[in-house]
Amino acid sequence: MNKILPAVLIVLAAALVAAATIRSSALAPATTPEGAVQSLLGHVKNHDAPAAYRYVAKQSNTPFPDFLRDVFGQDSNLRTYSSLQVFNTRVLHEDDREASVRASLQWASAVGAVYDTRDMKVVREDTGWKVIWPVAVQPKVPPQVIPVNYLRWDIVTRGSDDDWGAQNVDAPRVRIISMNPVEKDGNFILLGEIENEDTVPGFVSVQATLIGKDGESIAQEESFDKISHILLPKEVSPFRIDFPNMSRDRVQSVHLQPNAMLVAASADPVIGVLHQALQKDSSGHAVLVGELLNQSGQTVNIPHVLATFYDNAGKVIWVSDGYVDQSLAPQTPVAFSIGVRDDLAAQVHTYRVTVNQYSRDRIQ
Amino acid sequence: MIPKSVSAPVRAIPLLAILLVALAVHGPLLLMQLPANSYDANTHIFFAGHYANHWFSPWNEKWFGGMSQTTYPPLTHQWIALFSHTFGLTGAYMVVQLIVILLLPVGMYRYALLWIPEREASYAALGTVFLGSLAMLVYQSGQLPTTTAAALTLNALPYFYSWTRDGRGMQLLKGVAISMAGAAAHHVTFLFGAILFALPVLWLSVLDRKLSGRGSSVVGVLVRAVVFGAAILGAAILVLLPYFMSLRQNPISQLPIPHGSRDNYILSPHSGINFWIIPMGALILAIPYILFRGSAERRLRPLLFGWYLTTLLGLGGTTPVGRVLLGRAYEVLTFERFTFWATLMAMPIVGLLAKELVDRWGRRGILLLGVSAVYSCAMAVAWVVFNPINSGDFRVQPVIDFLNREDHAKYRYITLGFGNQFAKVSTYANAGSLDGDYNSARLLPELTAYGAGQLYNSKYYGTAGMESLRAILKHADQYGLRYIFVRDRYYEPLLAFAGWRQAEIYDNGATSLWTKDDVPPAKHIDFGNVVPPAWQGVMWGIVPVSASLLALIVVLIPNRRRSINTINFPASQETTEISLREAQ
Repeated sequence: MNKILPAVLIVLAAALVAAATIRSSALAPATTPEGAVQSLLGHVKNHDAPAAYRYVAKQSNTPFPDFLRDVFGQDSNLRTYSSLQVFNTRVLHEDDREASVRASLQWASAVGAVYDTRDMKVVREDTGWKVIWPVAVQPKVPPQVIPVNYLRWDIVTRGSDDDWGAQNVDAPRVRIISMNPVEKDGNFILLGEIENEDTVPGFVSVQATLIGKDGESIAQEESFDKISHILLPKEVSPFRIDFPNMSRDRVQSVHLQPNAMLVAASADPVIGVLHQALQKDSSGHAVLVGELLNQSGQTVNIPHVLATFYDNAGKVIWVSDGYVDQSLAPQTPVAFSIGVRDDLAAQVHTYRVTVNQYSRDRIQ
Repeated sequence: MIPKSVSAPVRAIPLLAILLVALAVHGPLLLMQLPANSYDANTHIFFAGHYANHWFSPWNEKWFGGMSQTTYPPLTHQWIALFSHTFGLTGAYMVVQLIVILLLPVGMYRYALLWIPEREASYAALGTVFLGSLAMLVYQSGQLPTTTAAALTLNALPYFYSWTRDGRGMQLLKGVAISMAGAAAHHVTFLFGAILFALPVLWLSVLDRKLSGRGSSVVGVLVRAVVFGAAILGAAILVLLPYFMSLRQNPISQLPIPHGSRDNYILSPHSGINFWIIPMGALILAIPYILFRGSAERRLRPLLFGWYLTTLLGLGGTTPVGRVLLGRAYEVLTFERFTFWATLMAMPIVGLLAKELVDRWGRRGILLLGVSAVYSCAMAVAWVVFNPINSGDFRVQPVIDFLNREDHAKYRYITLGFGNQFAKVSTYANAGSLDGDYNSARLLPELTAYGAGQLYNSKYYGTAGMESLRAILKHADQYGLRYIFVRDRYYEPLLAFAGWRQAEIYDNGATSLWTKDDVPPAKHIDFGNVVPPAWQGVMWGIVPVSASLLALIVVLIPNRRRSINTINFPASQETTEISLREAQ
């Protein structure tokens, strides 16, 4: 007993530790195309860029710094505020030399969960299956001077002790110019547009209260990030307010409350939207694609695209939004793509894209 | 007590000397208020702050839009509240922690006497003062209730042993009284730790039953153990009745929240260092001795098995033991406390090792033990300093001043990136927050549905954390959430896109205030019947603290004098007549 018991306890402890610890080597060559994608994404998830890069195919012609920038971000763009949380892979096509694998990615980001689907080509190399990871080459913008001649509104307050918004001046006049309630997937959704009719900028939001059949309030939600909060004079923003798990049958009426407050604002940065088009993505879903062009001279770190879709009667039938994970360098176009409801795509007659932005060094 | 060994070559260290050493080691650190920056100290101070102002009110509006104080055992908080009127809240925390630290070697001395002779027990008690696991719990985790309950449990175990072996009623009364106070200090220790400690002692009672003058049978010992268990269960239900009622009404159904102590310490080396290497300290070197000595002696085997199981549990996700044995509780518990308990269980055998080293190598042995002990304690304190759990202490007074100014307390607030300083803000600010530092007290669906912890740490919980934060921000108007204090620019994009605007900056721009001016003043949130009724508040304010006073009184009742003989340990062949072998 003197020696047997401790030996048994030691062996048992070692076995228990081994049972919870020993796994196949994380850096082993991938033996299947799906395994290569999973290994690459697994290392991205663990923030291990060098290990992830081992699974990038040579024919990608992607240097490590470019891979690093593409996966982990730069210029305080959304990707730098993100980490891969969950991924699922599915083989679309496979033969002896190459394969195509679709990866559904869920990123945890500073603005919430961001979902992405990426079709990846996988090729067999001498050291196993590798993923072709092309990275768009960033164009070099020639040195130039960008004149700053945008409009800007400042506010003089009574003193530094005043709370923001307590300036005792009239709020800008804003008006909801359209509203369309829809029901989708068990959710009740209010779509519409709000206009700043004043000659001064306003900080706006829209709050909605649903009134039930008995005349009582049954739910209250607000536009949150599905609106442009700062509206310059005469500017129009779409808004969308979601009521999860709410049937339209329960709603007697809707009370919309636009809120506006006078704020300092500027028209800068000006972000142009180019080459907009409704298309089908690789999965066959309708998407609105285009390019964003930052026409000012400073980097926009996180762009947020809001798209309003109208039918042929000019009625707002849907509002989509999406965050772009690349920053907008001056004078450099960046592609964007946001989803459109497939069942509405055929009814879309026109659409309008507006862009919100967060610039780390220019918080208003 | 085990009588003094007649043949002992060296005397035991007097308990008073051990207490003085504990005071010398931990007194200055507590005077420096080192635990004030620990994970949970501000949380306990927050709870205590409520009792200091509203002793009989179990409902606290300052966290989560409203929470019940009965979701956490109140004893340590109430003692802090009582002392706070003299020392202030933070000072009172340090005073209570110091009392607990002094109580711990006393408990260890008494517990160790069950297993080993007096001299070795004194070494074990002295070693307890220097445990890395204790230093980590005190100075990093700030788990005052855990250390309190452990100290009380150690003090109760000798009575449990004595009652189960001899069946003397006064021992039952004393054991139950101390256990009741332990339950009032910390429920997890009561539910899990006490069992891990008690089972080996019960086994020992069975082994030692013949040593009793009464010659108890195995069945008798077990029946008395059941009686003891039933008595402390009944006492715990009495002392924590509002807690159990709250738990029944609002079971902990939230999704599991990640914690480093559940990591595999080999695959996550930082967790391994933080939750095992540093807490174990020089005790790691003693593991072979614990295994071999514990196996070699029949009376030590229960302790060996208890230590072994507790150590495996303390390894968190490094072995499958915790997940298998604890089931759903595995995802709720944190495992640094199991390592603390394991180190406590190891100390009696380490006391034997210390005695051997001293006897064999004299001063060199003492030097080796001293260096090992100081190394264990110093490394743990140094680890806390060199590996801070947050980005550092910073002045939260401007934030508190803002919230207490004008009508700002009419609105609710949250902090982002404040770490454990949030609890400090909430202790002294009049305004209520939608965030809080004690996950089990949360009631708002936006907080419980995502599997994330505190809002101020949202980003560390990935998608779950950020979605929980988004959900709260979406309902800012309903909850009167107007002010957000940000000390991590990671959160700025979400606030900017969601309609908050930066209004003020503090600390040279390191902290900023974001506001949403169209938010109406906060209204009372209707949580239905989860608000404890007034009678529970009265009970909560009287029974737990009375239990601790009762424990103090019954322990002071002297035992009957009996004639006792001395024995050597292990009992020598020649020692045949033993009238009493008792530890108390």
